[in-house]
Amino acid sequence: MRFEHSILAAADQERVHDESLRILAEVGLRFHGTLALPLLEAAGAQVDRETGVARIPRSLVEQALAIVPKTFTLGARNPLYDFALPSPVTRYAMDGTATFVLDTATGERRYGTRRDITEALRVFQEVDLGVMAWPPVTASDAPAHSRILHEFLTMAAATSKHGQHEVHSPEQVPYLAAALSVLAGGDDELRQRHSYSVIYCPVAPLTHDGPMLDAYLALGSLDIPVMVMPMPVTGTTGPARLFGNVCVANAESLSALVVFQLSHPGRPMIYSSATGTMDFHSGAFLGGTPEMGLMTAALTTMGRFYGLPSTAAGCTSDAHEPGPEAVIDKLLTTLPPVAAGADIVIGIGEIESDQTLVLEQILVDAEIARLCERIADGIDTSPGAELHDDIAEVGPGGNFLAQKSTRAATRSREFVRPGLMERLSHDAWRQLGRPSMYDRARERVAEILARPQVDPLPQATRDALDEILTAADRDLA
Amino acid sequence: MTAELFTAMRQSIVDGEAGAAGDLARQALATGVSPLDAIERGYVPGLTAVGEAFSAGDMFLPDMMLAARAMKAAVEILEPALKASGGQRQIAGRVVIGTIKGDIHEIGKNMVAMMLASAGFEIHDLGVDVPAERFAEKAAEVDADIVGVSALLTTTMAGQRNVVQAIVAAGLRSRVKIIVGGAPATQGWADEIGADGYSEDGVASVALARQLLGISA
Repeated sequence: MRFEHSILAAADQERVHDESLRILAEVGLRFHGTLALPLLEAAGAQVDRETGVARIPRSLVEQALAIVPKTFTLGARNPLYDFALPSPVTRYAMDGTATFVLDTATGERRYGTRRDITEALRVFQEVDLGVMAWPPVTASDAPAHSRILHEFLTMAAATSKHGQHEVHSPEQVPYLAAALSVLAGGDDELRQRHSYSVIYCPVAPLTHDGPMLDAYLALGSLDIPVMVMPMPVTGTTGPARLFGNVCVANAESLSALVVFQLSHPGRPMIYSSATGTMDFHSGAFLGGTPEMGLMTAALTTMGRFYGLPSTAAGCTSDAHEPGPEAVIDKLLTTLPPVAAGADIVIGIGEIESDQTLVLEQILVDAEIARLCERIADGIDTSPGAELHDDIAEVGPGGNFLAQKSTRAATRSREFVRPGLMERLSHDAWRQLGRPSMYDRARERVAEILARPQVDPLPQATRDALDEILTAADRDLA
Repeated sequence: MTAELFTAMRQSIVDGEAGAAGDLARQALATGVSPLDAIERGYVPGLTAVGEAFSAGDMFLPDMMLAARAMKAAVEILEPALKASGGQRQIAGRVVIGTIKGDIHEIGKNMVAMMLASAGFEIHDLGVDVPAERFAEKAAEVDADIVGVSALLTTTMAGQRNVVQAIVAAGLRSRVKIIVGGAPATQGWADEIGADGYSEDGVASVALARQLLGISA
């Protein structure tokens, strides 16, 4: 049976739901922007125009939950990578929008660029459990007013897997819509294939950004899926108990669900979260803690509670450099949401609380993902798995080396074969110069980047996208 | 009696009890204790004790925040009497602080503001989504020593440069120090835009502000 574990008992799931409804109805959420409040007010929410706070009744949540799709497929530019939601197994997404990259050549941290997005996503393309790309760094070399579009389209060119990103203002929407239509081969195909989605983070606690929300609502006409990722942090932007913080995150998710469904009923949505904890001394955000793993697992369960595609941030770390601390953090923040049955864990390739991209970390994280996959697969207890006949044949004192079942095991999924962790003898390892897992990852990154790109965009498509970007650079300035 | 009152005032700050701090301030006024004495001999030693415990790792950021809130409650009650008596509380410096236009993230900015307030700086918080020119206007209005600009996003971070330019345009650059912060900011960025400093968190911002104003801790 699969290794599954719910952090929240059924009664606790009901408590999270009830408390979230109470927050929505009694405390309310502040909505900046022009579109959300009129929608909410017309639907029966109690809106204070002066403060921008809307108190949302239970009925609106129930209506939204009734009409939001429970299943859909995240398309990909190459249909080979289409990913149906919900998924019986956990898959992975690139972490996104870090500020910095650890420069491969110098080993120093610097601001990210479009080239870093390209290189990282070319590596991510080869991560077999990776299904969803996200520009891993912001492109400091692109103009600020159109940067998000450069990042989006750099991603689309670098990988043929499903891509998600943000958009920051309604003015950017026409350019993004035009570009996504070019990539999909038309608006109808874009609506149908869902090859690109947007990730939406409410501003904790209980606040929605104006321009960003307005932009995301505008993209509803193209049926662009929205992943809602609340990020309350215990003690700073969220209450200082894990359970309370889970409730705030869930309330923020439900509030977004209501607004997006009021605007475009039936628009595909993905439940997610990226909660964190506070460093009690500095106040800094921590995303690689056991408490974070527990909260995202609980929220994964809440996504399932609502029957929604359910994903979670994970594989995250607060370490300042690649190495053991990063691996420990990442394991602790991956396994809980995997055990809770997350469709996608989002966080491959970064350290420093999602602020620094490290190319070789992408492959180290892929290794962590593979090992967690093995744990999640559990123990096959199907009839015959006890191998009684072999036990009887070998008998006391023999060995199982020459059994056909042992030979079959070498080729089965039951025993994971690591990709980066070599199981060499001590002497063999020394003779190779004592390579670490990260050394091997660096070599493989170099190999991947030396090969021709997989699924490059046709030149005509690239030209069309470049034209759109040129117009955006000019018009949005 | 006054010594006991001062001890209680100190304790109210250490405990972070704004209600108690306020009650004691009213008691001081009712019994004729000088408001300046109440602040400097009663409450400030409490802040000092909290700061020392924080530095030693025995207290944490929420302790500092609660202490600062209690201090604020006491000062608000004492301030009118202090002004009426012609007295003036010693402040480390005046700071105008805000989150840059286009950005509504404020937790980091709030932490810096509270830490600076705890360290004796007078804070003028402009809130979030603040245009660059507003920083300059407020700095001129309150005769600020420091302007602090926060940004969480790499796209809005560019606005920190605009604040530097606005301060220059307002003719304030020679007397105002400019500090920047937020997840994407670095010392290199501060140098590039001509700011005077950068700090990674609220704790470091106190040392930075003191250093810029030539104040020993």
